[in-house]
Amino acid sequence: MTIPTQRHGVPPAPRALEVRGLTKAYDGRTVVDDVSFSVEEGEVFAILGPNGAGKTTTVESIAGLRTPDAGSIEVFGLDPVWDREQVRRCLGVQLQESRFQDRLTVREIVETFAALHADPLDVGDLVDRLGLGDEADTRYARLSGGQQQRVSIAVALVGRPRAVILDELTTGLDPQARRETWGLVDELRDDGVTVLLVTHVMEEAERLADRLALLDRGRVVAIDTPQGLVDSADLEQRIRFTTSAPIEDEWLRRLPEVSRVARADGEVTVAGDQEMLFSVVALLASHQIVPGRFHVDQPNLDDAFVALTGRRLVTTTADQEVA
Amino acid sequence: MAALLILARAQTRVFLREPAAVVFGLAFPALLLVVIGTVFPGATEAVPAFDGRSLVDVYAPVTVVLGLATLAITMLPAALASDRERGILRRLSTTPAHPRALVAAHLTVQATAVTLASVLAVLVGVLAFDLPLPRSPGWFVVAYALSVAALLSLGVLIGALVRTTSAGQAIGMLVYFPLLFFAGVYVPLEIMPPGIQTIAGYTPAGAAVRALSDAWAGDPPTATSLLVLAASATIAGGVAVRHFRWE
Repeated sequence: MTIPTQRHGVPPAPRALEVRGLTKAYDGRTVVDDVSFSVEEGEVFAILGPNGAGKTTTVESIAGLRTPDAGSIEVFGLDPVWDREQVRRCLGVQLQESRFQDRLTVREIVETFAALHADPLDVGDLVDRLGLGDEADTRYARLSGGQQQRVSIAVALVGRPRAVILDELTTGLDPQARRETWGLVDELRDDGVTVLLVTHVMEEAERLADRLALLDRGRVVAIDTPQGLVDSADLEQRIRFTTSAPIEDEWLRRLPEVSRVARADGEVTVAGDQEMLFSVVALLASHQIVPGRFHVDQPNLDDAFVALTGRRLVTTTADQEVA
Repeated sequence: MAALLILARAQTRVFLREPAAVVFGLAFPALLLVVIGTVFPGATEAVPAFDGRSLVDVYAPVTVVLGLATLAITMLPAALASDRERGILRRLSTTPAHPRALVAAHLTVQATAVTLASVLAVLVGVLAFDLPLPRSPGWFVVAYALSVAALLSLGVLIGALVRTTSAGQAIGMLVYFPLLFFAGVYVPLEIMPPGIQTIAGYTPAGAAVRALSDAWAGDPPTATSLLVLAASATIAGGVAVRHFRWE
């Protein structure tokens, strides 16, 4: 079997998504400020950020629902505004807070949207795959929130898109429905569909994304793999434990890997770098002390976000008032 | 065109599953004619004040316009606002179809429904209350088509501009009841004071009833009636197209 090598004069296949310098303001307020990122075909890429970070405006621009003030967007090499028709054929979009007619059944809704596409998926199969098989003939108004969300996903997928935008995929879903929906994104990845996931839920990005862009106040703060982001933030690890016999704080402090030691409610909390765990355990062993209720707090994306922006991902009411 | 048919099919289902739409949209004109024909004594006898027509003859075009106004003004704006509120219009913008196709689907379903309702009312009148068929069928079709265009355009205009479903319903009602008055639903146009008759003739509802009545009697509708209807359709439709809120 011969593998064709890249020939001269043939441009490389365009990326699934290419966003350069995207800027958009509403009433003089810049909500998306010079955002750039690219997504390879087949990749699951997340845009993660707190409410008001400009995530939805970014994906609405990619979907061609907004015209950027500045910058360029390409979806498989096509412009969402100028090549509207072609982009609509290869890009599926699940919008935040989108609902359907109460009096139509699941099957009727998905069939209607299927008929608008040239080469749709089989509606019965799709509805089954989304776990809506038993509800196919149930009217939309009678569905649970999770089921309604899955109808919205079905509508985004029924046109057999090469790339799909999923905006706040699991908002309002119970934990069970959330896990099922995550499984669906895994299936899309297995099918080679490019996924652009928009979320303010850290676990979702961490669990699903191959790479992600952290967005804060309209700007891209960092782009990396979830683990890469955590590693590059160079965050401390923390361990907490009780001890079978008293231990001097000073012994722990003397370990080069340890930066801080604190005590509360009979528990010792030790902070330090990634190698600290082994040294602390070795120290306890050498004094024949057995640690109890041992916890390791790994730094996560939320911690990385705080390190990069000084703010938390999970916004409190006070934060939202500021935003 | 394909998108229009697909969406019209879905919208027909939505329409038929709403009991209020079926009762008020399809059966209301015929029911009103039955009430007038049976409750008022001598409703089928010639009345000199109505140029020798009967009360049923006078009310037949009024019931047609009533059915039209009910669908176009009380139901269409709320339906369009609901589609917008639910994000269905926006959602369509992300498919190969344009959301315009859904508006066109609504208009197709409404025009079909009101035509069925009108045929039903005329049949009831003809079979039960000696109502003559329109004596000038050509003009009747012209007057009817312009009336449908005028009132549906008005409905789309309201639906184009309101933000919410409840605002669509509220503004629809505010427009609906005056329209019914000028259509002669409460008091026939023929026995209104002359000044009010003149004003009514310049409203889409009044002009619609005039044009339909004339064609029914075998006369060509007046130029004023036809112009009022055509102008309402053009202006309301034009403004709606220019300022339609898709989200």
